[in-house]
Amino acid sequence: MNPDLDLTVDRIIRAPRAAVWKAWTDPSRLAKWWVPAPARCRVERLEVRPGGAFVTRLSEDGDADFVPHLDAAFLVVDELRRIVFTNAIDSAWRPANPGPVVMTAEITLSDHPDGTDYRVIVRHGDPAARARHEKLGFADGWTSVTEQLAGTVE
Amino acid sequence: MAQYSAQLDDVFVALADPTRRGVIRRLGRGPTSVGDLAGEFPMTLPSFLKHVRTLEASGLIRTTKSGRVRTCVLNRDRLALVDDWLAEQRRIWTDRTDRLAAEVEGNDQ
Repeated sequence: MNPDLDLTVDRIIRAPRAAVWKAWTDPSRLAKWWVPAPARCRVERLEVRPGGAFVTRLSEDGDADFVPHLDAAFLVVDELRRIVFTNAIDSAWRPANPGPVVMTAEITLSDHPDGTDYRVIVRHGDPAARARHEKLGFADGWTSVTEQLAGTVE
Repeated sequence: MAQYSAQLDDVFVALADPTRRGVIRRLGRGPTSVGDLAGEFPMTLPSFLKHVRTLEASGLIRTTKSGRVRTCVLNRDRLALVDDWLAEQRRIWTDRTDRLAAEVEGNDQ
């Protein structure tokens, strides 16, 4: 866990683990909550097994135009307990560098007296690495650059 | 989210160049005319103006013309995008967790 790059979400969900698991792994259920309204999500592939495809498309205004949203692969699937997926490889396992930032998300479900202890850890790549990749000549380390910039503008 | 991503891409690409970062640093000290800025960077004016246009397109700077002088001003809100990307990702996952909770707490007791 790197606090500069990673995030965690920890929530008690008042429903049993099996219900949370189903909302995650049933395409029509996932589509209902994966993106915020008015955008709509279309779940193209949801192969919930290690190496399986996780592909969604998104319509920003909920109309007909669905554009690529997520093209990722599952790394770990422990039935009813844990899902890990990454967009650092796409659904064909091709190395990928999608915007705005590359990530691996780990979702863990545990029993809790009130339902399910739902934890998310999202480990991000460094967005500066992507800028470097796109445009050579980015010699400074990203952190020093932002520090320098912040120093002059604050 | 897609729009935010495109904005962030523009900002990172704009900052991925030493001249453009130099301009941002210089403008951190206050608005400056294009002519004065250009004098501080060892390149031809047309080359320098390309950098100014890239920065303007990314939203990192704004320019205004008064008479014959074009002045560049730093847009600090856009620069904050660089530091805010993680906050934005956190918001996406927190909101997503809210929606998941609402979905299962409503339907599957």
